Amino acid sequence: MVLEGDVGSGLIAIGAGLAVGLTGLGAGMAEGDVGAAAVGAITEDMSLFGKSMIFVVLPETIVIFGLVIAIISIFVM
Amino acid sequence: MSRIVIVGTKSHMDEAIEALYSAEAIHLIDHTVDADEGFTLGTPRPYSPKASERLLKVRAMEKELGITNSVKTDAVPEDEIKSQISSDSVELVEKEVTSVLDKRNDLNQRITELNATKKNLELLSDIPVDLELYSGYKSIFSMVGTVVDDPTAALSGIDCEIFSSLNKKKGNVVAVFAKDADKEKVQAILSDNGFSEIPVPKETGSAASALARTDVELTAVSNELENVNKEIENLLEKHKTFLKASDEELSIEVQKGEIPVRVANSEYTFVIDAWVPAKKADSVKAEIESKVSGTYVEVQETRGRNLHEVEEAEERFKTTPSKFKNGKIVEEFQYCTKLVGVPAYQEVDPSILIAIFLPMFFGLMVGDVGYAIPFIIIGAYGLKVTRHKDWRAIATALFFGGIWAFIFGFFFFGECLGMHFVTSSHMLDVEFSWEMLLGLHGLPEIFNGILPYEAGVGKLFHVGFLLKLSVYIGIVHLLIGYLCGFYNKYIQHGFKHAFMEKGSWIMGFIGVVLACYALTELLIYGTPMDDIIIFLGLGIVLIVLEIVMNIKHEGIQAILELPGIMGNVLSYTRLAAIGMSKAGMALAFNYIALGMIAGVDITPAVVVGHEVVVDAFITNTFNFMDILGLVVFAFLHLVIWTLAILSAGLHGLRLQMVELMGKFFEGSGVEYNPLKIKREKTVSSKAKATKEV
Repeated sequence: MVLEGDVGSGLIAIGAGLAVGLTGLGAGMAEGDVGAAAVGAITEDMSLFGKSMIFVVLPETIVIFGLVIAIISIFVM
Repeated sequence: MSRIVIVGTKSHMDEAIEALYSAEAIHLIDHTVDADEGFTLGTPRPYSPKASERLLKVRAMEKELGITNSVKTDAVPEDEIKSQISSDSVELVEKEVTSVLDKRNDLNQRITELNATKKNLELLSDIPVDLELYSGYKSIFSMVGTVVDDPTAALSGIDCEIFSSLNKKKGNVVAVFAKDADKEKVQAILSDNGFSEIPVPKETGSAASALARTDVELTAVSNELENVNKEIENLLEKHKTFLKASDEELSIEVQKGEIPVRVANSEYTFVIDAWVPAKKADSVKAEIESKVSGTYVEVQETRGRNLHEVEEAEERFKTTPSKFKNGKIVEEFQYCTKLVGVPAYQEVDPSILIAIFLPMFFGLMVGDVGYAIPFIIIGAYGLKVTRHKDWRAIATALFFGGIWAFIFGFFFFGECLGMHFVTSSHMLDVEFSWEMLLGLHGLPEIFNGILPYEAGVGKLFHVGFLLKLSVYIGIVHLLIGYLCGFYNKYIQHGFKHAFMEKGSWIMGFIGVVLACYALTELLIYGTPMDDIIIFLGLGIVLIVLEIVMNIKHEGIQAILELPGIMGNVLSYTRLAAIGMSKAGMALAFNYIALGMIAGVDITPAVVVGHEVVVDAFITNTFNFMDILGLVVFAFLHLVIWTLAILSAGLHGLRLQMVELMGKFFEGSGVEYNPLKIKREKTVSSKAKATKEV
């Protein structure tokens, strides 16, 4: 496989990957904890599903931030 | 909603209960102990205990016979089933069913016993001792059972006779005959070798002949069981209609009989508090007063939506039930609202907003004709066959989501299965279009002028545009949320309060949006300061105003929540991001599958452009790899399609629940649930009469 382009764009690509990857990891860790608690709550009372879901998906926003940073770094920088 | 009080004499209780149910508009307020002096909770109607008892019997029979909800039966006229129940049909059927069920239980037990005996006899058949010879001695005892290790050597010091059959597969069996005096010693030795006793069946002759006899009996009993099972099936067919109908009728009777327990009773009178829709209050009053003699109905209050009225009300009258007022389609989206909570009486119902935006967001994220069509078909089919409300809600969301996905896929992205219809200059090197793949050179003329950006928006190419679009959609969506919040506060507390509490948030929101817009232009696009100063200035002024107004209301929190607005808006970029992720997968999958069909080397070391693949594809002759390639193509797209349900569906729902509803929805209400009789397996005498006329 032949490498093309300059070092700068390579670094940008690595940075973008780190932004998405690390935020994904963070969100996953947070969501895992919240999700476990939420499933526990739902087994007790099914009507809590909607409210639990709101809490479960809250950390997801972190990934979106990472994604925005990644996209900005690739397409704008 | 209006609150009414129904007062009547206890002697007319049954008529009153009938009238309450036939009005179909009365939401009962449960009486609480000690709510009013001199009143207590009543006792169930005299017919109720008998009905409960019969219901219990019917349900038990249904369970035993295997009559589930999916068993279809015809509806029975109400009078008929009532007369059947009162002439003790339930008890007669129970007698018939129980006798057969008992027979089945006995047979099952016999089979278990015979199987156990059979197992023992199989072990014993290896010992050459007749069964009657194991017992009946004066000074000798016998021990027979399985062992782990051979005890012969250990027993050599004791005067005894040992029969053993050592078989690793079946198990080691030994029979020991010894003098009574040595009993303890023999027991100790055997237990050291892992002895476990086999009970010797009370039979005569060799174990093998007993085994044969047992086998014959087992077959006979099994046949009998089969016959009994057939009998049970016949009983199911014979009684299922009666059981289902009586289940429903008795449930209704029990429900009606329990009404006195929910209302206030004095020695001779009853008092019922209830909510009815304000429009129906007068008609309900007239209906009940005319139907039940000696009853008086008074409309106590008509509850407005201002919270001051709630504060003045007595504790048990504080929560007013809320009635959903939605059309047929929006009704299905109430399910999503209810996942969070039932809207309070003083709150707007977000179902209609969900009905508009959820399918739209879903469609934008999927945005592909090829995936949209299966969604539409599955949604329509689901709506046709399912009656369960959960599935109906999902089917509706899929159907309308599919329609939006088709619209976006056809007119906006111009895509089918991850490939654009028309070839364009901004295509990636490994991307294909239907035009080049199938050689349809008439396509560009058809789509000419329909699609934006020449061949439709490229999910992986016009990223900046899609991101901006999703942010703008987010701003509109959130603004609607804030406006709903403003409206809620307005109907609850009045304009001034709403302006101070929610109006300030709207200003803050607009301020943050303007300031962020100005900063993005300045920092990323390098727009001169002069052009954007007006946005930045206005934004900062609005933010400051918001903080000043809100600090009075919420304290320092007001400042802390401002960055959250930015988070909320950016959260909508998932609309673009999920579309991108699916497009990326589709791109890779198409490249792999079409490369396979075309017979081009697609290893990453040599990235061949689309021209090479397409040329090979067109000149390709049919061979085995084509079929494999097509299977891979279908499977990989199925993967994307399935992921689309999860990611697009859940993220679409999340944007409604977290971002939109978080701005105004509390969901602390109670659903309006009027007393009503729902008949499925029985036909009410009234309905029958009108049908016959």
